[in-house]
Amino acid sequence: MAAVKPRPVDERRAEFARYKKDVKERGKPFHPYAMFHDTVMSLVVVSVITGLAVIWKWTSWGPHHDGLHQGLLGPEYTDPADPGTTSFVPRPDWYFYFLFYLLRIFKWPNSVFLGTVGVPTIALILLIALPLYDVRRERRLSRRPVAVVGAVLTVLSMAVLTWKGATASEALASEVIADVPTWIKQEKLPQNAVPGAKLFAVAGCTACHTYLGTGSSNLGAPDLTAIGTRNLGIDFQIRHLKDPASVVPGSPMPKFASLGEKRLHDLALFLEASKGKR
Amino acid sequence: MAVRRQPSRADIRKQRMLAAINFPLDWLEERSGLVGAVRYFLFRKVPADTNWMQTLGSATLTAFIVQAVTGVILAMYYKPTPNDAYKSIQYITDELTLGWLVRGMHKWGASVFIILMFLHMGRVFLFGAYKYPRELNWIVGVLLLVMGMLEGFTGYLLPWDQTAYWASVVGINLNGTAPIAGPWLAQFLRGGQEITGDTLTRFYSLHMLIVPGGIAALIGLHLYLVIRLGVTSPPWSKEAAGMERADEPQHLRPGLTRPVPRGGGGSS
Repeated sequence: MAAVKPRPVDERRAEFARYKKDVKERGKPFHPYAMFHDTVMSLVVVSVITGLAVIWKWTSWGPHHDGLHQGLLGPEYTDPADPGTTSFVPRPDWYFYFLFYLLRIFKWPNSVFLGTVGVPTIALILLIALPLYDVRRERRLSRRPVAVVGAVLTVLSMAVLTWKGATASEALASEVIADVPTWIKQEKLPQNAVPGAKLFAVAGCTACHTYLGTGSSNLGAPDLTAIGTRNLGIDFQIRHLKDPASVVPGSPMPKFASLGEKRLHDLALFLEASKGKR
Repeated sequence: MAVRRQPSRADIRKQRMLAAINFPLDWLEERSGLVGAVRYFLFRKVPADTNWMQTLGSATLTAFIVQAVTGVILAMYYKPTPNDAYKSIQYITDELTLGWLVRGMHKWGASVFIILMFLHMGRVFLFGAYKYPRELNWIVGVLLLVMGMLEGFTGYLLPWDQTAYWASVVGINLNGTAPIAGPWLAQFLRGGQEITGDTLTRFYSLHMLIVPGGIAALIGLHLYLVIRLGVTSPPWSKEAAGMERADEPQHLRPGLTRPVPRGGGGSS
């Protein structure tokens, strides 16, 4: 009589029954054996956290008695929140850098959806459902080539994205303003667009947008070198600056209404005059 | 016939002492069964080859406890209003006795917590410990990771400084780009069209009530499943609990159905 081929469900049930029997017969009690290791590790964790807090305090506040001082681990706090300010760095805590950098890869508006929602959602679904599609009993790494390759690629891409996000440089207003004369020359900007160009350089726009190669391409923000060729109009530009999401649904750009009508008008003139390198 | 020695008075006193000491525990055990549960938890068997990598889970729990304790202390001094938030953070950091330590431990404990969650997840992946019958515990673990990162996102706004404010402006706007639920989610997080005091209290409530409550509940479920299903042996271990052994007769393994090679007669 031919042997009946075992069903996978019976095999894994048998393995778990075997596991329980083995642990009962040859296992060791959680306390004191595993408990000892756990306690040592927990003490290490608390020490590391305390150590970080101490280094933070004594390299930031320590030298100058000033919480704003940039110590080894950053300042204790930055300036108070000011919704009206214009020079800011839209940077999250380090464990979101991979998402932050993903948005430099996917550009607004065509593929930003992939960066903010598409890729992270697919990755999360694959992560949650892992035990539901990887149903083999095999646990040894040498016999799980697909899992190993997948894990290595995931860890590598997360590490690279986090690293790139950490080292991505933001354009400083003081550096950008030095480029304004070049912009005027290369774009042949008219006189009435110059105040807007200067404002553009210092108002934080280049934290996300690029202009003739200056600035950081963040959060999928488009390059504005030749935005004027789209002839969107002064009115559109002002409305967009006041509340980007109202004219471009879903835009992640912050509102700049706090700049005031006069300065918004200057900015709009500059953007409309930007017809690219001429 | 052996003469049974009468218990001396010292013996009787010792017995009474023990009974008096045990009384509260017996009282509790009779009414709740908790003593037995703790004893079961402490003295349950784990595989003999359990190693240091398997301390990452309890290390993560320790980091969460640090966050809970320091968070409760911070909540005693922090004021979630746009006018007072920044000042209360300055007060905690610069003036309150050891306030800098509590805030520093909370801030850096968050990073340590996230790193430990990732390392713990890596260990479980390496061991294949998410496989039958522990699938559900992997899913609970990933939900804990997501909620932990949500804690990071909501906590980042609370100091109400420039870094916090603008990271949250952009973070919320990014949520808004998601289809269907996105705009609604962004509106909900902000509590209106702009980031205001309403956003701050909303983030504060999420950060210290809803999300940590959910995390605590899920940790309870996570631990229950660990205790119920047991700890996995390292897959490379020669003594791994549950592995098939060639030296044991097949018939002693009920349910094990690896077919005997035909013609060979015995097992290899």
